[in-house]
Amino acid sequence: MNIKEEINRLFKEEYGKLISVLTKTFGASNIELAEDVVQEAMLEALKQWEEKGLPDNPVGWIYKVAKNKALNVVNREKHKRNYQSEIANHLQSQWTAAPMLDHIFSDKEIADDQLRMMFTCCHPKVSLDSQVALTLKTLCGFSIPEISKAFLTTEENIRKRLIRARKNIRDAEIPFEVPQGKALDKRLTAVLESLYLLFNEGYYPSKGNDIIRYELCEESIRLAEIIAASEVITKKSNVYALLALMVLNVSRFKSRLGPHDTIIDLENQARANWDQKLIQKGIVYLELATEQGEVSIYHILATISAHYCTAPDFDSIQWLDILNLYNHLMEIDNSPIIQLNRAIILAKVEDATFALQALDQIEDKSQLQSYLPYFTTRAELHFQNNELELAINVLKEALKITKRENIKHLINSKIDLYSENN
Amino acid sequence: MQEFMLFIKTKGDHLESLSPEQQQAHIQKVGVYIGGLIQAGKLKGAQPLEMEGAVLHGNKGVFKDGPFNESKEVIVGYFHLVADSLEEAVEIAKANPIFEDMDASMEIRPIKQVEGIN
Repeated sequence: MNIKEEINRLFKEEYGKLISVLTKTFGASNIELAEDVVQEAMLEALKQWEEKGLPDNPVGWIYKVAKNKALNVVNREKHKRNYQSEIANHLQSQWTAAPMLDHIFSDKEIADDQLRMMFTCCHPKVSLDSQVALTLKTLCGFSIPEISKAFLTTEENIRKRLIRARKNIRDAEIPFEVPQGKALDKRLTAVLESLYLLFNEGYYPSKGNDIIRYELCEESIRLAEIIAASEVITKKSNVYALLALMVLNVSRFKSRLGPHDTIIDLENQARANWDQKLIQKGIVYLELATEQGEVSIYHILATISAHYCTAPDFDSIQWLDILNLYNHLMEIDNSPIIQLNRAIILAKVEDATFALQALDQIEDKSQLQSYLPYFTTRAELHFQNNELELAINVLKEALKITKRENIKHLINSKIDLYSENN
Repeated sequence: MQEFMLFIKTKGDHLESLSPEQQQAHIQKVGVYIGGLIQAGKLKGAQPLEMEGAVLHGNKGVFKDGPFNESKEVIVGYFHLVADSLEEAVEIAKANPIFEDMDASMEIRPIKQVEGIN
């Protein structure tokens, strides 16, 4: 690894930790100040290291620079800004500044602060897409161009979302803490939702490039693991279930990728390429998730994923069990996309006609009208029923909802295939 | 939980009686001591004071300056503590490394709490 890559990796690893500690120091209303300070510290490190090479303890080096900068900021602007933090007061005293810096930069405090940062970023006063953008920016060290690539939107758009998120936090005076008591359950649900969204941004196709997408999945797992390791959060059933779901899905990530940003379906994935270590890890998380007897959509989705991962081959998948899990899932969440996924299983257990009927029964199809898998699934089901003309018509509709040339190309080649059989 | 002020007094500049090495070692010990208080959540604040300053006496609008004598016993700093009781605050005070390294005294006083407005 060359020095530039080494520095980049190090920065990405340490960025979120430093931001979290400094946000606690300056107060949640000063997130941007924390970002500026970390940015400066990293630029300084980059300049030094490119000239003189990596120091013996690069992480310690960055922390030292960050500590000094924090101290300067707190003392330089102490009469101008309201930091609303006892830490800032301690950093203004000759006696307590150094012991306080050592304290807040200890491993345990850093882990707790990342947790607090998650709860601050994913506060209900911040809109869901801003939550995810801010989490990526602060906790994962993603740059604005990287976030905009991940979301397939403009940098300007992401910049606006971040500004809005920081403003929401300031205006609502959101404290930098993990909520306690009854509020915790609700807020934890919101954090997990945001992490799941982050994961799905990475996991589902036609968004950004593969490397960034895989990183999104890794980051959402890393953040969920911080929650799982926390001592202040005791009810972790849903956390473990979400982790199981993410880890089991990611174990198949690389074997899912086909040419031109396409997804290879389960039947045609090379099982030898599945990551067995991750599958084991996912199963352990799933066991932990079931200890407290709770059932959330994460539990059910993770169990479904475990079925796929542990079946020795495609033909031994227990479709009936999976259909039952989907039936159970629909009692909690009968969103159109879940109904669509259930219909795919129904085709395995019963037949394509049954599945098509189930699709027809979905009441609100508005969400599906822009969802490509809805069309490809319908087409496939008609094809199985030998209704080639219907299959082709559905695919022609699908062509209208995508602007991506490579996807259009794939749809067209399928239309050609069906037409030849016709 | 109650809050306390601890006023630390020494004769003259408390660090002056120490060699540079001893000063260094002393500051290190105080750092560890304060770090422990921070970790235990006992410390609201602690600050050293400059050696120069002023003493003022006043009575019904008539002021008299000083005398301020920095070689006599002066307040060199304060600790603002949170403790369960005066006894605990005294124990915390006794553990201050300043007593290992020099002659010092401390005054420990509970902070009066607001009990409504008259």
